[in-house]
Amino acid sequence: MDLANNLQVLFQGFALGSIYALVALGFVLIIRATNVVNFAQGDFAMVGAYILVIFLNFLKIPYAWAFLISLICMALFGLLFNYGVYFPLRNRSYLPVLISTLGASIFLQNSTLAIFGAQPKLLPKVFNVDGLLIAGVFLDSQYLVILVVTVACVLFQYFFFEHTLLGKKIQAVSQDKDMARLLGIPVALMIAITFIYSAVLGGLAGVLVGPILFVSIGMGSIIALKAFAATIIGGFGDVKGAIVGGIFIGVVESFAAYYISVPFKDAYAFAILFVVLIFLPQGFFGEKISQKA
Amino acid sequence: MRNIKIAIFFINAVLCSFSAWSTETIKIGLINETTGPNAEAGSYAINGVKSAIEQINKKGGLLGKQVEVVIEDTQSSNPGTVLAFSKLGGDKDIVAMIGPIRSTQVMAASPTITKNAIPVMIGGTDPSLTHINNPWVFRCRPNDSYSSKVIAEFGVSNLNLKKWAIIHSTDTFGTGGKKALEDALKVLGVTPVLVQGYTNNSQDFTPVVLAVKKSGADIVASYMTNSTDVGILAKQLRQLGVTASWVGSTSITTDTAITLAGEALYGTYGVTDFSADASAESKAYSAMYRSKYKIEPDVYSGWTFDAINVLALAITNAKSTNPEDIKKAILAIKDYKGVEGTYSFDENGDALRGYNIVKNENGKIVFNKHIQFPK
Repeated sequence: MDLANNLQVLFQGFALGSIYALVALGFVLIIRATNVVNFAQGDFAMVGAYILVIFLNFLKIPYAWAFLISLICMALFGLLFNYGVYFPLRNRSYLPVLISTLGASIFLQNSTLAIFGAQPKLLPKVFNVDGLLIAGVFLDSQYLVILVVTVACVLFQYFFFEHTLLGKKIQAVSQDKDMARLLGIPVALMIAITFIYSAVLGGLAGVLVGPILFVSIGMGSIIALKAFAATIIGGFGDVKGAIVGGIFIGVVESFAAYYISVPFKDAYAFAILFVVLIFLPQGFFGEKISQKA
Repeated sequence: MRNIKIAIFFINAVLCSFSAWSTETIKIGLINETTGPNAEAGSYAINGVKSAIEQINKKGGLLGKQVEVVIEDTQSSNPGTVLAFSKLGGDKDIVAMIGPIRSTQVMAASPTITKNAIPVMIGGTDPSLTHINNPWVFRCRPNDSYSSKVIAEFGVSNLNLKKWAIIHSTDTFGTGGKKALEDALKVLGVTPVLVQGYTNNSQDFTPVVLAVKKSGADIVASYMTNSTDVGILAKQLRQLGVTASWVGSTSITTDTAITLAGEALYGTYGVTDFSADASAESKAYSAMYRSKYKIEPDVYSGWTFDAINVLALAITNAKSTNPEDIKKAILAIKDYKGVEGTYSFDENGDALRGYNIVKNENGKIVFNKHIQFPK
């Protein structure tokens, strides 16, 4: 019984951690490309989920198509976001861009509220089964999908950045924009692609988590806060770090809630953040500032 | 000198005409969760207020004036609530306010309410809210000392279950409710096998559900603030195989919770001050509400509908919009039949002492019985 309970908590922690990781990945990509934290990253998840609601619940398109169209819409949304929120301020310091993303977040939440109203929406699960019960451990089908998608995203990202020319160009831009420009890499285009990709990632997180947490205006901000902590714990701007950090937070908070105290669940993520910042200021995988310079 | 006198005369005349113009309507403030995580409840609260005001204005308004509502957003947060109270408190034309349904927000804004010194109708059900020496707070819902007695009584006597698990939000409402329920169970000779708190907007209730499972409880009682939390908990309870009976506070009976949780809430009981079929008044109100808004009425709109009507009655009886007079008139209200029940105010500002037990039968809320307590 207790082994089953522990496994249940572990599974739940991994699944929640994967969602944090997906959103954290989006954070990291934009930090690397622009040196700015995108405060609207959590709202990408919310927007993605609402787009799926439109196609699925209102237009009644079959699930697979609605899912695909939603991700395409998110790509367009990322492009718009790039040109509306980041591009006009690209030559300013990081602060105006930061505030611009914060403004975008408030704008997105309130315009979604104005369009869809405040009643949370339901989304169906990817598979029409509730889940599997194995040896007393309930594996929610949606959480299984989330785990698989996260692994797939990590593999795709690794392949994309290490083995394709486009990925290498984006990496070059994130390392040194001026140098990249001198080498003939279209910097603005690479950044636009980064925004597109991170909007799709955010949307994916939202679409996957929608059936579990329900689709509401605030759904993104709750996840984003933890994802942001994951980004810092993993090493600010490190891809591996975002994934490890996300899953680490998910698992630790689940176990701490189970063994220590449930009401303090949200505090654990930030307690971990403090401890990591004290003993490993650069995070798990972050470079030391001196190495970066 | 003469010119100055004329100028002063004109300025006075203009000011007087302004104030005369501004008192042509009676303004009532609504402190409302228009945005933020509770915005869905906020939209229902507005429906209740607007439909009550529409009915009053159709009958000629109050003291010969039309009634107007001024809405201020709390962003579903405590700081937002305090700000909203101070902002509307600065508008001297507002004669009374409808406050939040969230106990924690009423608690946070209590000093500001005292400073504003105009009557505030609240929906928060933490018993202590009307007992903290704030003469301006009046409750238009029964408080949780009654809801907890009803939950305890129903579970122990009617369902005949003795192993209780209490799940509660750690905010003011949830903690107050938990305490009242523990007391009510004690009277019936029951000590809960589990008392488990959680914070609002939890994404995962697995640790809570496992604790319930471990405790071996045969009945779960809940004081939960947000309907989305009810939805997530309900699904996880059923997924992890908890089959205990469930009697919940009002949030379990809301339209949102029922829609989101679906099958997971079938067969559960809830206590609610508002039930569409509880009385002739609530039936009439529900018929009006359904035809006007095309959705089911629930407590969020029911209590604000009553709050406006109670205020209107007080203003009519007082024949004045002076806050002190309205306050006295509210406290003097006896046996007013509203949609939430029969209002008789006591010296603390509590008026309702009854709750309805309802059952979720395949997604429909069915009125079970009304339990009324003496004053």
